[in-house]
Amino acid sequence: MAQTFHQPASVDEAIAVLTEHGELARLLAGGATLVAMMNAGLLETSALISLSAIEELTEIRIAEDGSARIGAMRRHRQTAFESNLRDGQQVLSRAAAQIANVPVRNMGTLGGSISFADPAADYPPALVAADARIEIAGKSARRQVAAEEFFLGWYETALESGEMVTAAVVPEAPAGSVGVYEKLCRVSGDFAVASVALRLTANAGEIADLRIAIGACGGGPVRVPEAEKLLIGFELTTGRVEAAAECIVAELDPVDDVRASAAYRRLVVPRLLQKALNEAMDEASDQ
Amino acid sequence: MSEKIPLDLMVNGRVSELLVAPHTTLLSVLREQLALRGCKRGCNQGVCGACTVLLDGEPVRACLSLAANCENRDITTVEGLGNNGVPAAVQRAMIEANAVQCGFCTSGVLLSAKAFLDTNPSPSIDEVRAALSGNLCRCSGYKKIVDAVMLAASYGVDK
Repeated sequence: MAQTFHQPASVDEAIAVLTEHGELARLLAGGATLVAMMNAGLLETSALISLSAIEELTEIRIAEDGSARIGAMRRHRQTAFESNLRDGQQVLSRAAAQIANVPVRNMGTLGGSISFADPAADYPPALVAADARIEIAGKSARRQVAAEEFFLGWYETALESGEMVTAAVVPEAPAGSVGVYEKLCRVSGDFAVASVALRLTANAGEIADLRIAIGACGGGPVRVPEAEKLLIGFELTTGRVEAAAECIVAELDPVDDVRASAAYRRLVVPRLLQKALNEAMDEASDQ
Repeated sequence: MSEKIPLDLMVNGRVSELLVAPHTTLLSVLREQLALRGCKRGCNQGVCGACTVLLDGEPVRACLSLAANCENRDITTVEGLGNNGVPAAVQRAMIEANAVQCGFCTSGVLLSAKAFLDTNPSPSIDEVRAALSGNLCRCSGYKKIVDAVMLAASYGVDK
């Protein structure tokens, strides 16, 4: 049970409180995960540090270079309806729209979700597909880590003790690119059995640029650049997709759990990939 | 010992002065300190939706909301629906459509439906299903619940 409650007004103040109270201090974002764990008695907490009064974290800012800085306290519902995300950046809004259900999307935040780093969550593969960087604050200057290097494994991130996520910075996507998020789940709103996030640019019927990330099939999102190379520069054919899927499946590290077996996950990822690529090519040709 | 935090909470238009522990959820405060027991404790994990309340008009889980984080917010529970004893359209429609079985999920459903119809007064059935997908009914009486929300929409603007 928490002893104290804090509501800092700035990131610096939050970091100071976090440092002062040590390992058992917890940052409270939307509560969707942290409070659920506290209710289940799974978490010892000395101090709760609510981030809801820090204005900077609630904003989305578009920089001159077209990158979108999404504050860590942006709710899933806000990102799902975000009109400032363009082209392939929309893989983020499409992933956000498929998280849980309306009340949970009203509460849950980008920063909370990625700090917890559930491997079956929706943001991690979407952030990798969008080539995003995670902005982290600590006692010294802020640093940025590529999403691919942020998710280290099962519930493990590049965050160090005394640090917090302040934003995700999503670079401008290539002009005309599209972002697609294909998720398989047992019932609406569940965590993914497996998911495919991608950002695709097409040029005269050929794939000009592509990033693919797979969710829920390992400790973190899985990206296989060799598989992307099998598709870039070519028209989308069943044979090419099969070759790329085979290349990806060889790199997956899924487990048997309550949602699906590892073998089933390996079976469905190629189908999800085909579906996501078809959808992306259809959308790209409509533009 | 946890410190006790003095707190002014505005629930159903009325402000209450409370003392809460840091980890106390909104659900506990509503049920145990304010005796508003329409808000149900089901899973206490944010999954079932029985504790759904409106925070500034938007549905959230009371079991995942810390009371200390809800100061200066406008909280609505099922007891705050309707006007001076006259039920709101969604409540009348639930009765009319016989959409209540055991009743445990009903208050959460009503608040999700109310918030949804406020933003989408003429929905399709699929939109209603999506809007209510975070409210589980373990009697599995979903058909009549969806019918009731469509019926409420047909009543038109409800003030």
